[in-house]
Amino acid sequence: MKPLFKNTTGIGALPAITGLLVVVLLFLFPRFVENTYALHIMILIFISIVMGSSWNLLGGYTGQYSVGHCAYFGMGAYTTMMLMQFRQIPPWLGIWCGMVAALVVALIIGSICFRLRGPYFVLASIAVAEILRVSALNLKNITNGAEGILTTEIPPLKIGGALITDFSSKVPFYYAGLVFVLLVILVTWLLQNSKLGYYFQAIREDQDAAHSLGISLTFYKNVALSLSAVLTSLAGSLYAVYVGFIDPSTVLALDLSVQIVLICIIGGIGTIFGPVIGALVLVPLSEALRSNMIGESLINSGIVKADSAFGSFLTENLSHAHVLIYGVLVVVVILFMPDGVLGFAKALAARKRKEVV
Amino acid sequence: MTIFLQSLISGILIGGVYALIGIGLTIIFGVMRVINFAHGDLLMVGMYGTFYLFTLFNIDPFISIVITMPLMFLYGGFLQKVFINRILGALPQNQILLTIGMGLIMSNGIMLAFTSDYKILSTDYSSSSFDILGISISTPLLISFAITAGITVVLYWFLLKTDTGQAIRATAQDREAAQLMGINVKRMSIIAFGLGASLAGTAGALISPTYYIFPQVGSTFTLKAFVITVLGGMGSIVGATLGGILIGVAESIGGVYFGSGWKEVVVFVLFLLVLLFKPSGLMGKSNT
Repeated sequence: MKPLFKNTTGIGALPAITGLLVVVLLFLFPRFVENTYALHIMILIFISIVMGSSWNLLGGYTGQYSVGHCAYFGMGAYTTMMLMQFRQIPPWLGIWCGMVAALVVALIIGSICFRLRGPYFVLASIAVAEILRVSALNLKNITNGAEGILTTEIPPLKIGGALITDFSSKVPFYYAGLVFVLLVILVTWLLQNSKLGYYFQAIREDQDAAHSLGISLTFYKNVALSLSAVLTSLAGSLYAVYVGFIDPSTVLALDLSVQIVLICIIGGIGTIFGPVIGALVLVPLSEALRSNMIGESLINSGIVKADSAFGSFLTENLSHAHVLIYGVLVVVVILFMPDGVLGFAKALAARKRKEVV
Repeated sequence: MTIFLQSLISGILIGGVYALIGIGLTIIFGVMRVINFAHGDLLMVGMYGTFYLFTLFNIDPFISIVITMPLMFLYGGFLQKVFINRILGALPQNQILLTIGMGLIMSNGIMLAFTSDYKILSTDYSSSSFDILGISISTPLLISFAITAGITVVLYWFLLKTDTGQAIRATAQDREAAQLMGINVKRMSIIAFGLGASLAGTAGALISPTYYIFPQVGSTFTLKAFVITVLGGMGSIVGATLGGILIGVAESIGGVYFGSGWKEVVVFVLFLLVLLFKPSGLMGKSNT
């Protein structure tokens, strides 16, 4: 007799149940936790996971290191915000326009830059993102230039007359973020087990070999970039609407592109949960530095005296240097765990298992 | 016509400094095949060094390069020995990320130490200029151009005539063959990165009287350095020299005719065009 439900995914029962449980808990999270700061951190983590995972599709699976991904993040952010602020189009419609805008930019960039390989592609992706940044800075009548765009009001979301949310709390952003995270993880998972995903990975492993097997390099690289760009724009739109303020130096900056890459590298690239781990490591760490939690706790615990020179140095300066931690982390990760935290943990576990046997 | 000549001349003058930045990057790339994303940050470190030598000890920025150059050489050698030598065999993307990380540490370390305030190094000749045939020439830019030209000549001599220079060029041409010939390639790498860093630091010193000094100033110059080296052909020193001057001129003329806000776009569009139509660069060997 044929089994009614054939498990073709290769996922064991235990991980599947654990995953489901985590998702349910995440959905219930805002019901139990009302602390806005906790919600804020969760939303930031969600945004980071979305942008990291989207980059992962191109960088991790297809092997094309774009260091200009802020272009798509910025396209999403700017399109949604401009439509909302200047045309009164609500963000849940604007997000779609943001995705289309990111797609258009991705196709243009892809058709130019994918003729280049390796370091040249990296440089070209940076150059294109910089052109967008400088354009956003100079097209003052459309983008407000360096002043940026500040949200005055988000229209309440109504479906058939019933008020769903008025965006007055962080909860709707939390759920939007969670849905986006689930979406990108689903896309990544589907991709990993699909023919398309194998094409991508073949290109990553050896472009020329893949090409000789009849895989069109330009076409599939563009598919990967488009997918990645559209999903990255989601993160950008959510960020823009949530924070309520964007300007070229935050959403179109090289720093942001680097941050997107780091989320993946630190977690482990080319894996589904690498970006999740990366975001879970990076966001709390940089938030702790930004809000000066580390400095304060050092002082409160009595290790450093508040009135000493070092104490006042900590309280004044440490919050400015949360990017420093990105630098230190990436150097440590590249030198000591080139496969990321996830790969490092796996290797450790494998070594332990060997010792036991 | 005067406006055109004016922007051409100032473009060439600033292009000299760009060439210095580009030559540093191209030497590092040639010998190690590593694209140094921390190059602008090395320049920034040089700027801060010059600024404090000037404010604390009252040493003129153009004289202080005698101190900045060897210090930056040692610093670059240290970075190469401790960090980059470890990842020479790694994936190119990991090498890029490592240098990005080093750059972040430098810029944010400087920010922690000296805050992110803009600093201005004003000498009594900072804004002075003189006229030749109706074209005004900025004194500090002219001096820095003269120094750049001098350094470039010495550098060419070093690379072409001395044993160490030839060893460096041999390593750049073929690392393994060089090693077989008994060249200590690790040592050459350290010297090459030291040279690159000291050139970047010197460029920083030379532009410090005319630029704002702040921790994030590096990234603009990193990007410019890439454009210059790709334009000239990665690894080609003659190419980087020409590329630097070309970018200086393009920026200056673009700024005049498209507005100063768009001058960077002119540079990047030029960059993309070169990448697309002649990825090996103007002076590079064609792809085989």
